[in-house]
Amino acid sequence: MTSEKQRTSLPQAWQVQLPVFEGPLDLLLHLVRINQVEITDIPVALICDQFYEYLGLMDELNLDVAGDYIYEAALLIQLKSQMLLPSRGGEGSEEELDPRHNLVHRLLEYQRIKNAAQTMAEVDSVRQGIWTRQPQSARELVSVPHQEVELSEVSLFDLLRSLKEVLGRYDHEHPDPLRLSGERFSVRDQFERLLGVLSAGRPYDFLEDLRGRSGRAEVVAAFLALLELARLSLVRMHQTGEGELLLYRTTREVEQHELEAVPA
Amino acid sequence: MTSLQDMEAALEAVLLVSSEPVPKDKLLQVFEDREQERAQEALRLVIERYRESLEHGFFLEEVAGGLRLVTRPDLHGYLRRFFEVSGHSKLSMAALETLAIIAYRQPITGPEIQELRGVSSSGVLKTLLEKRLIRITGRKQVVGKPFLYGTTREFLMHFGLQRLDELPPLDEFEEAFGFGESGESEV
Repeated sequence: MTSEKQRTSLPQAWQVQLPVFEGPLDLLLHLVRINQVEITDIPVALICDQFYEYLGLMDELNLDVAGDYIYEAALLIQLKSQMLLPSRGGEGSEEELDPRHNLVHRLLEYQRIKNAAQTMAEVDSVRQGIWTRQPQSARELVSVPHQEVELSEVSLFDLLRSLKEVLGRYDHEHPDPLRLSGERFSVRDQFERLLGVLSAGRPYDFLEDLRGRSGRAEVVAAFLALLELARLSLVRMHQTGEGELLLYRTTREVEQHELEAVPA
Repeated sequence: MTSLQDMEAALEAVLLVSSEPVPKDKLLQVFEDREQERAQEALRLVIERYRESLEHGFFLEEVAGGLRLVTRPDLHGYLRRFFEVSGHSKLSMAALETLAIIAYRQPITGPEIQELRGVSSSGVLKTLLEKRLIRITGRKQVVGKPFLYGTTREFLMHFGLQRLDELPPLDEFEEAFGFGESGESEV
């Protein structure tokens, strides 16, 4: 741990360019590299301080310091404090109790993964250039039911995608029913309407009128309006032998306050 | 009896219209049993004829346990221009890291991947699922029953592998960097 005294701040050159890291472990590996220390013998205090400096840098550049970094920083601080405590084990078991063991293990594993990923990136970029026959055109060529689906390759994700497609098609073929906001018919409207259609001396077939209403609600409103008209002696009602209900307009004029008293 | 030449032609025809890698034994099924010996010879010749070369714009690739005709990777510029394809669908480093973890440690759960990478990987997992490079293989019987992820046949095809065990061993990377699993010996 002699290297911890060497420098605690970031090298000047490094502050100029800010590499993009895939995560806190990537950053830690980078710090190990630029400080030229062994991954298996990490100077925790130094790395911890530089890690924090980097977080500060991210903050300065208004980059979001993701929670993952903060979590890792907390682990490092814990580790740093553990390193300051004297080892509780005997001399022989000192190595096993190295508090850094877990970190070292994670870094080594991450290093391996990262290297594998880099190799795969190279393969990926070459093989992106490979084109193959599109499955659709093959199906067009064969008119027989298309090739067997390999069951093992149909994942839950495929099923979900199919479901989504089916639902999408269903929605397309079954558009939402036309929704009409419930119409409201006021008694006063019907009152005025009936007054308008009634003319003096001419009978008016009320049942015929009701047949022309749009629905139950309007019929009820019209009926209530008729009761109102009769109460105010504005119409007289006659029922014929055939059951017709005939309305006759009386000579009385409707007064404004009477009209206003009719529920709207 | 089908002539050797006709057999080669037939194999070429089947390979031309197949979009998926065709396993060799399935390919040979188009010929009768008594002709199998010659059919194998025909297949060998076809494979030989269409190995990757500067002569042709396409070649016969052995991938994911089968054979398929693919274009030479260096020609993609022309294809892109002809089919008016723009933009790259190269995998991000985050996606590749996640994919590497899954490829080498499958089946593995999301939280385990997160532990290895140090960052949340749910967005990347979604992308990889959409690209069909990984699939959900089941659920781990632990608290929360997280999904287990594994690679797909698509993954093999994308990376030009016959089988998963063709992946270079992870330990080789480790050796290349000169440190062991635990550092005791070096302290």
